[in-house]
Amino acid sequence: MFIRRLPKFEYHAPGSVSEALDLLERYGERAAVLAGGTDLVVAMKKRERNPEHLINLKGIEDLRGISFDEKEGIRIGALTPLRELERSGVLEERFSPLWDAVNVMASPQIRTLATLGGNLCSAMPSADTVPPLIALQASIKISGKGGERKMVVENFFRGPGEPDLRPGEILTHILIPKQPENHGGVYLKLMRRNAMDLAQVGVAVCLSLDSEKKICRQARIALGAAARTPMRAEGAEKVLLNREISQKTAKEAGRIASEEGTPRSSIRASREYRTAMIGVLTERAVMEADRRIRSMKT
Amino acid sequence: MRQEEVTLKVNGVSYRLHIEPWRTLVEVLRDTLGLTGTKKSCNEGECGACTVLMDGKPAASCLVLAMDAQGKEIVTIEGVSEGEKLHPLQEAFLKHGAIQCGFCTPGMVMSAKALLDEHPHPTSTEVRKAISGNLCRCTGYQQIVDSVLAASKAMGEKS
Amino acid sequence: MEEYSVVGKSVERTDGRVKVTGKARFAGDLIASGMLHGKILRSPWAHAKILHIDTSRAKALPGVLGVITGRDFPGIPFGTRPDTRDQLPMPITKVHHFGEGVAAVAAVSEDIAEEALDLIKVDYEELSVVLTAEDALKPDAPLVNEFMKSNVAYFSDFLFGDVEKGFREADHIREETFSSQRVTIGFIEPHACLAEVDPTGRVLLQGSKQSPYITWRHMCRAMDIPLSKMRIINPFVGGAFSGKHDPFDVDFAAVRLAQVTGRPVRIVLNYDEVLAAYRQRNAMDARLKIGVKKNGAITALKAECILEGGPISGIGPFNIYFFGAFLNIPYKIPAVEYHGKLVYSNRAPCSTVRGQEIVLAQFCLDSLLHMVAEDLGIDQVEIRHVNAVTNHWTTANGIVVDVAGLQECIKKSAEKIGWEESRKKRREGRGIGFSCASHPSGVRLGGHFGSSVMLKLLEDGKVIVTHGGTEIGQGANTVFCQMAAEVLGLPFDDMIQGTSDSDTAIFDSGMFGDRCTYWDGNATIAAANDLKRQLAVIASKELGAAPEDLEFKNRRIFVKGNPEKGIDFLLAVRRAYYERGEPLYGKGYWAATDIDIVDWKTGRGNLAHGLDFIATAIEVEVDKETGKIRLIKGIHGDDAGQPINPAMLEGQVNGGSSHMTGHALFEESLYDEKGRALNYTWQNYKQPTSMDVPEYSVEHVHTHDPYGPFGAKGAGEASSCSTLAAIANGVCDAVGVRIKDLPITPEKVLKALAEKEGK
Repeated sequence: MFIRRLPKFEYHAPGSVSEALDLLERYGERAAVLAGGTDLVVAMKKRERNPEHLINLKGIEDLRGISFDEKEGIRIGALTPLRELERSGVLEERFSPLWDAVNVMASPQIRTLATLGGNLCSAMPSADTVPPLIALQASIKISGKGGERKMVVENFFRGPGEPDLRPGEILTHILIPKQPENHGGVYLKLMRRNAMDLAQVGVAVCLSLDSEKKICRQARIALGAAARTPMRAEGAEKVLLNREISQKTAKEAGRIASEEGTPRSSIRASREYRTAMIGVLTERAVMEADRRIRSMKT
Repeated sequence: MRQEEVTLKVNGVSYRLHIEPWRTLVEVLRDTLGLTGTKKSCNEGECGACTVLMDGKPAASCLVLAMDAQGKEIVTIEGVSEGEKLHPLQEAFLKHGAIQCGFCTPGMVMSAKALLDEHPHPTSTEVRKAISGNLCRCTGYQQIVDSVLAASKAMGEKS
Repeated sequence: MEEYSVVGKSVERTDGRVKVTGKARFAGDLIASGMLHGKILRSPWAHAKILHIDTSRAKALPGVLGVITGRDFPGIPFGTRPDTRDQLPMPITKVHHFGEGVAAVAAVSEDIAEEALDLIKVDYEELSVVLTAEDALKPDAPLVNEFMKSNVAYFSDFLFGDVEKGFREADHIREETFSSQRVTIGFIEPHACLAEVDPTGRVLLQGSKQSPYITWRHMCRAMDIPLSKMRIINPFVGGAFSGKHDPFDVDFAAVRLAQVTGRPVRIVLNYDEVLAAYRQRNAMDARLKIGVKKNGAITALKAECILEGGPISGIGPFNIYFFGAFLNIPYKIPAVEYHGKLVYSNRAPCSTVRGQEIVLAQFCLDSLLHMVAEDLGIDQVEIRHVNAVTNHWTTANGIVVDVAGLQECIKKSAEKIGWEESRKKRREGRGIGFSCASHPSGVRLGGHFGSSVMLKLLEDGKVIVTHGGTEIGQGANTVFCQMAAEVLGLPFDDMIQGTSDSDTAIFDSGMFGDRCTYWDGNATIAAANDLKRQLAVIASKELGAAPEDLEFKNRRIFVKGNPEKGIDFLLAVRRAYYERGEPLYGKGYWAATDIDIVDWKTGRGNLAHGLDFIATAIEVEVDKETGKIRLIKGIHGDDAGQPINPAMLEGQVNGGSSHMTGHALFEESLYDEKGRALNYTWQNYKQPTSMDVPEYSVEHVHTHDPYGPFGAKGAGEASSCSTLAAIANGVCDAVGVRIKDLPITPEKVLKALAEKEGK
């Protein structure tokens, strides 16, 4: 009912992924992995989660860091703190929706601790990094005793709080491919106040225009806090394909997106408000993505 | 469930401690090391009162396991001044009326210090963003922002 | 305006250095040898009988030294007034709200104390809940408070002047309803208390308490302890805003457990406990009817108000009284009729909060004033100029306004916000809202109301300033040192802030209602003059001049007009201490017995001196698609008489206003249909951050209050009173929609816009 001191547990600090997987296999359901702790530690204090064994992944060097390759795209270790992403020039320039998201998440003292992998594995419908990753066509790498698997981010969520992680598996890396020509994107977030809040609605839009920067050749729209899991608004995307981006088409995309979303009412916002705001934010995000492409130097 | 041996470096001093793994950094700082300048209020990372610096970065110490703080340079409010010599931020807070009840003050100073250490000349918006995780009910933030900007100016003039 | 040496300067706070270095100790930082840790078990029900509490297993847990429940107290109820004694230290027969403490344990460690909570078994029988005022007033409503026979805790009915006549003479009449939500108080430090009992039974309490006097009186009564058996020493308090006057279960349990175990007991709450179960602001429903002339001058006002206040009345009777009494200010209203009710409910208990009920009353009144100005095509600034009180005004209920700088406040804030320019060139979605307000510098709530200060002169010429109140952040300690220094002609740095220890300091009636600077300030001056007299007698012998001809300045005592003929201050001190064995201390008190004790039933009387005035202008921007409101700028034209410490004064004004921005826009304490709190963590109860508040600035309007210390008035609470309406009016100015039920959420704005556009 009320927040308490942490419950008792045994602490493990593996130095490698294989060590971590061994521990997970040994302790099974009695174990939980610790990344930034900004979700897990709070949940444990509320006794919502009570693992007997805590496996701290932060000592595993392989799981941290951002590496960029012109051809391959960007590879981010799951244990990379949001603060590092916030300061990544390559993220800001070339994968801006994710950079936008990190900038409106939590607070400085949380961003130092919270990790990208942690945000994904929380599988909250409102997780801010997810719509941008979906819009950017990101995929993730998962390691288990049985080997590695890879999947696109949008398939990673089974339900609120339920990531598609099998027992004994760890999310290790997030991969964002090189984006197409004349690409631009943005993430917009609506909150009750101007800082340190979960999204009432989050919209990520990635557009790619033709070589004349006139016609939209690719559109990806992803919504957060709009359904039980983060979702693509494929109907809205179709509205923009092979057309010129204008206030009219953006508005139409917004309208369709708000019909595709199935948000629920919560103390943060009502269903009706969220539905309407999916439309407003999608329209604005489309226009902003377009504006960013046009203001690019190349 | 046993105690573990842990070495924590706080304000330049190394402490060898025996603590339970489920102790958070804020608890160890306050209860074991007697450094009560770092405050505990919400205990869930929402208010910023427990903000300390870890390797120069602001962190909510209520969410950090003390075990996990090993190998890091931890700075608390007690480590900001040097004896009687106050940090320019602290001087500015005093001069510009940034302190009322004082409960949020340690956390505020830590967040502001992390900002100025990284960006010596922030804009007023950047200051507000840097302290957006520190709740204050007394001051309305205006004079805190003014103080950080004044400190930035004073520090710029010195260098 | 007189030039002072120390008064009027933004000197560094006396407690600034310890606070900015993290050395200031708050209740949760205190430790005592052999200290035990206490925790409180809380009710999961909002309204339920307590059938049985089995503490045996908890008591048997190794490391647990004491477990108590409500039955471990004498069962004597306490309350603010003799006729409202409806509160127990901890509940005995039933719980009244979600999270109410039903048992408490003391153990050798916090972990064990928490474990013990889980071993206490409580059998409850759920009862129907009363959540809103409407619920409370139903004929078949369950009775909330077992000490009272009705769910109406208190009521006030006022009639001043001829209201019927006023409405007859009006050219335009408008009637509107308003409502305001439950909000938490939101200080950052959670409740904490360290209690010790010595073998003679004397209690030492060091808690996060705002007004030791109130805590002391209530606790001694409820625990049947003689007043002389309780000593209170105040640590620093991390914000209070009137949420920490009464003793709570935290304090009672700490004392009782200390008595039971024979060891010091410290209880420190986690903030979610505070949000769930401790003081909030009353929810309000009000109906106001105003009559105005063609030029906007108000001719009459009729108001009805219901405050829903939780299961204990607390300071509620005062809230109901204050709402009505302060409708008479800051505008000239010849006739006022008011009916107010306070009702019980099963939501969290309420107190008064920063700005007190004027916050709510002014929200209604200034919103209504904006509306009639729109109806009549009168400029918003103009209508306030027309109605603002002026010097030497007496209100319909008998409040005497000595000095009112309000006209100047309105002028300055309008200028600074750029009102004229904004009318010529309107920006899409942008608006400016105005509100005025006034707050008294401490009302006289009862015959016992008074303040006292003692100045102890040390042999090295420094002075220790001790007052019976608490430094809760408002800067009380500092201003008293400034005033004492000014009177004694000493530099500010020669003043030392003494400890607030009830054994040595005289109790002050309470740190609330904007009274400190004024009441304790006057007491400080009296004490300083007392000390000055004693020193003058000694110096007069030295200088061969009459004591009344001597002046104190720059650490010297000299003959007026002849600075050469003088001695060092320190010499006079030494004469006393080293030649006569005469210690010097000054004592002074101020009780304002020339003003009326408030008549809570009729609302009549000159209840306070030193009304401070404010005119607040807030510029807002409304996003018509999302409904979100952005606060851009806040300007306050503030008349606090002679500012004692301008920087600290500005801090008060800025702080009070920004506190209310949360109330205006997004704060709300929510409950489910069974009265269980829904959002009792800061993850879900959102208070304003640095990115939510506007850029503030304060325009000082310098006046001189005839009764105030150095002409000062209180400054702590006016801006809280003017902010709600300023924001509501700003939204109206920006996009033409009027929201009368707080908070003004984006959803409400969009709904109102849609209705306006006929969708």
